[in-house]
Amino acid sequence: MTAATFSHTAPTGYRRQGFARLRREGALAPILAFVVFFVVYLIINPGLLTRFQLQTAANLVVPLALIALAQLVVVLVGGIDISIGAIMSLCNVVFASQLEHFPVPIALLMAIGAGLACGLFNGILVAYAGLPSIAVTLASAFIIGSIAREVMDRPGGGVTKEIYLATSGELLPFIPISLFWLAVIAVLLWLLLQHTALGRHIYGVGSNMESMKAAGLNARATKLAAFALSGLIVSFGAIMLAGSTVTGDPRSGDPYLLSSIAAVALAGASFAGGKGSIIGAILAACTLGLIGNLLFFGGINSYWQYVISALIIFAVVGIPVIWRKLSFRVKGVSS
Amino acid sequence: MSVTTRPLGAPQQSAAAPEPAPPGSAPRMTAARLTARIPRAVWPLLAFVVLFLIGGIVRPNLLSLDSLIATATFAMILSIASFGQTVAVIQAGIDLSVPNTIGFAALAFLTSVGPFGPVGAFLIALAAGVVIGCLNGIIISKLGLTPIVTTIAMNGLLFGVILLSFNFSELTVTPEFVTAITSAKISVFGVQMSAVLPLGLALMLVLQLVLSFTGWGRSLFVVGSAPDTARLAGLPVDRIRISGYALSGMLAAFAGIVIVGFYQQASATMGASYLLSSVAAVVVGGASIFGGRGSMVGTVGGALVLGQVATLVTVLNLGSNIQQLIYGAIILIVISLYGRKSGG
Amino acid sequence: MTIHQEGATASAVAPQGDQLLIASELVKNYGAVQAVAGVSISCRRGEVLALVGENGAGKSTVAKILAGAVSPTSGSLSVDGVELRAASVRDSRRIGVACAFQELALVPEWTVAENLELPDGRALHGFSQKKSVLAARQTLAALDLGQIDATATVGSLSLADRQLVEIARALASKPKLLILDEASSALTPPGVQWLFARIRELTATGASVIYVSHRLGEIAEIADRGTVLRDGRVAGEFTRGSWTDDELISLMAGREASRFFPDPPAQTRTEKALEVSNLRAQGINGVSLSVGAGEILGVGGLQGHGQAELLRALFGAAPASADSWSVAGRRVRRLTPVAAVGLGIGYVPEDRKTEGLALELGVGENLLAPWFRAWQLGGRPRLRSERGWISGVLTALSVRTRGPLEPAGSLSGGNQQKLVFGRWMDRSRSVILLHDPTRGIDVRAKQELYRAIVDLAEQGVGVVWFSTEVEELVHVCNRVVVLYQGAIADELVGERLTADAVVGAAVGVTGRTAGHADTAVAADSTGATAEQGARA
Repeated sequence: MTAATFSHTAPTGYRRQGFARLRREGALAPILAFVVFFVVYLIINPGLLTRFQLQTAANLVVPLALIALAQLVVVLVGGIDISIGAIMSLCNVVFASQLEHFPVPIALLMAIGAGLACGLFNGILVAYAGLPSIAVTLASAFIIGSIAREVMDRPGGGVTKEIYLATSGELLPFIPISLFWLAVIAVLLWLLLQHTALGRHIYGVGSNMESMKAAGLNARATKLAAFALSGLIVSFGAIMLAGSTVTGDPRSGDPYLLSSIAAVALAGASFAGGKGSIIGAILAACTLGLIGNLLFFGGINSYWQYVISALIIFAVVGIPVIWRKLSFRVKGVSS
Repeated sequence: MSVTTRPLGAPQQSAAAPEPAPPGSAPRMTAARLTARIPRAVWPLLAFVVLFLIGGIVRPNLLSLDSLIATATFAMILSIASFGQTVAVIQAGIDLSVPNTIGFAALAFLTSVGPFGPVGAFLIALAAGVVIGCLNGIIISKLGLTPIVTTIAMNGLLFGVILLSFNFSELTVTPEFVTAITSAKISVFGVQMSAVLPLGLALMLVLQLVLSFTGWGRSLFVVGSAPDTARLAGLPVDRIRISGYALSGMLAAFAGIVIVGFYQQASATMGASYLLSSVAAVVVGGASIFGGRGSMVGTVGGALVLGQVATLVTVLNLGSNIQQLIYGAIILIVISLYGRKSGG
Repeated sequence: MTIHQEGATASAVAPQGDQLLIASELVKNYGAVQAVAGVSISCRRGEVLALVGENGAGKSTVAKILAGAVSPTSGSLSVDGVELRAASVRDSRRIGVACAFQELALVPEWTVAENLELPDGRALHGFSQKKSVLAARQTLAALDLGQIDATATVGSLSLADRQLVEIARALASKPKLLILDEASSALTPPGVQWLFARIRELTATGASVIYVSHRLGEIAEIADRGTVLRDGRVAGEFTRGSWTDDELISLMAGREASRFFPDPPAQTRTEKALEVSNLRAQGINGVSLSVGAGEILGVGGLQGHGQAELLRALFGAAPASADSWSVAGRRVRRLTPVAAVGLGIGYVPEDRKTEGLALELGVGENLLAPWFRAWQLGGRPRLRSERGWISGVLTALSVRTRGPLEPAGSLSGGNQQKLVFGRWMDRSRSVILLHDPTRGIDVRAKQELYRAIVDLAEQGVGVVWFSTEVEELVHVCNRVVVLYQGAIADELVGERLTADAVVGAAVGVTGRTAGHADTAVAADSTGATAEQGARA
């Protein structure tokens, strides 16, 4: 009897804990926002669930979701990456241009290597030279951006139809392959962040650097690892983007700088570090990425997407603050 | 240069740690004493002089007044666009809504110049900048959203508003009033230059005086350096923050009008290149990204350094990629010199 | 022989017999401040060694050096025959040193289980939520802490429970040397007994414990031997049962205390500077007090009984309400810091580095900070006379500085504290609130501050002075209120104002203090924070 009770309660306790963790990591608001958004989307445009539209929407959203994840990893250790758009451009053009000379796997490795190198560059300067991440990545945004345009000064490259199909086609009917890749990367990242010591340290360094040091952990190496990991994920996003647009473009990453930060903010992550969830970031990216589509199908001038994105961010981040202030004021009077 | 650096003997300049004078300048006592008081603003100006001389060595014809004025004019436009950013950075914030505030103000100005006349339109554009800045400031200080996220979202919002509310085909004529204060050639002490150069210098002077000598300007440094200290010293931190962002917005709006006047064109993305370069000018100008340090003179110095690099790169025909690469390297050098948190 | 040299982190040296820990001639400098000035201590296997001392005596720094968290400037350290060179908590832990600090090295957002797992950090080692919870439950049960929920976040626990978790983490590694740095400061009496039981279990296995505490009662019960630190040096040593409280206190203080203090200000005025009745705020349950103009009202009590909250509430820095509240005769309804300064209140906050000063800005700017008005040129004394005012304050307080442009961050702690105080030296002040202004500053600066505080009061300013040093309260204040759990436990004046009475009221015993166990040396009740201040 007792044993049965124990084995019964342990998993529910565990599940409740997962929910608590989502709340702790600020993911509930973006999940809720996405659900509302998705329902509205389906009401206005039930056609989303057709094969073609699903695929288009997925191809639109997946690179942004990946870049948002990359930004999230840096934000988790209390940093910010201004060079993320430039890194994306660089990986994108390295991939596209090297395809003209080398077989696909080598071009792939070179693009991933470029992302990793950029991440390490930023990470070493931030973690070991002790410089502020915003200033370091501002500098590397200029440097990496110029290297990207040096590699390829105009859109082009040797991205083929096969690569398009492999990154942005369909895995199964109704299942865009890009979503599959996103899921693979997200699950791997989730395993790393939640189920390895390194992942816990990444959260810990952002949350309380001094505690981590006092507990004897190598906070610098953890920060470096976070930046390197971020560069790696950016390269995946850049490859997906190259695949879906069937081209390499030295400016392709530029718009992702601001939208990646916006998505991480919408995901409820703390820019002081230590708080933020993967699922929140992905859903926030989906919400922000699909607003334009929704407006198009709703017959509204799609320029409204910029206004609405901003208002969603202000609302999702601001309403809890106002709520807390109001409830505190009410309590403050009664006590 | 000495004329422009003099008003900086203001108390808040003591913010900078006294840096030892570089060995090379040891015999010049006055310079050493000056730099001990105003180190941060002097270094970029000195760097500019060095770069200017290097330019002269590489291409002797660069060592001319015309070349200096050409570079300074370019730098002054960047400076005007970065003045607002300087205010935001001093108070430990950042204003990434500068690009589209520039665009919005420029387009609002051109649109309202017909019905309201140039002065009316000018005031409307500045008021728009103030409103944008106020919104930024209120969201940052009252809702506690990070400056970087707030201003990015604001930048996006403004982009939408620009695309939705302006009819670009109608906006071709630049009123004379604006060209007169920007691109028109005027003669100062017998030297021909674009009007924007003295305009920018005058603006720099006024803003520097406001920062150095008014209670508001000096509280801005306290708020940027240590917000808790400012609060517990009884300073109205939120009000200072909001007014700081409002000034930042107004200056960006002013930059928008200047850019319209100078380049005689306006588009939805006209401010985009100022997103990173305005921050770059401020950082190269010696401001601390953590707040509490920075000056308008420094920002002009930073813009001059970046402008001279651009000139050199153009003359040597290296291409804009190399220019960006050098920009990045300069920022790295500057932050490794005094970018650390330790305040010393 | 210096410890902080590069190269190998540990190397074997000659066997040390039954000595587990040998530290010799440890020195630690923080800039110009020497926190530890040549301390040698040793600890045998199975021994509990107490480390005691006043505020800023350097005991916390010594504990951190022993734990590998701080590199000594010079000196050598060996544990179990292994010489430790570079300070590294990881290396120390590998050879069996574990520590629990007063400022908790826990991540508040994490669960108890995640925090307990923390020190076993191998980067790509798998982490399973479920396993870590099970392991944590086992660990907690084995340590008789089954009541702590392993899945709760540390931030949601009480301070005492957090401290238990921190101690549990140190114990779980089965250390050879356990360092407890004020680790009992938040524990309840049963918690302390639990800790002693664990310490006895541990020493029975031959492990040693370094016990840093200010509670003499605890030391009498658990310590086999003790070292007294004063001003960064070893002032004396003692063994179990060979000492009395008084001996130890005078060893820690090292002086005839009263000679050091100025007399309290003479009471000549009748008007009130501050009156508040039934003040309620977070951590404050109905405090009523009044301060006369020219009076110094001391506020005493053990750490965390509402003193900090009281001062913040009185300055409007924390939301508060009261039945009636007036400052210099003017009624107060809701107070903000801006309004408080307008009413004539000045506040010297707890942490001078982050709350008191803008370290990058100049001495002058820091003094003028409260007086900046947006549309005025310069601060309150106006630009023209501002320099005169600044140099007047600097002279009055004997601030040692190169001038008003020197960054405040490059001043010594005592001079920094004088700046925070000096900015309120203005005729417009009617009340000054002081949060332990003499914490962690040198003797000379202390005396200069005492003088300045008394002078200010004699000009008619009402002073509310929270101090962690009982002697200050007893000697310099006209009247003292002692807080206990957010309320005034006792008000002491005249004959009744003695150190014993203050300490007794602070531990919840009104009237004469009882025995050994309660005699906290309240002079040291905030312990490590002071040394923290001196360090940074």
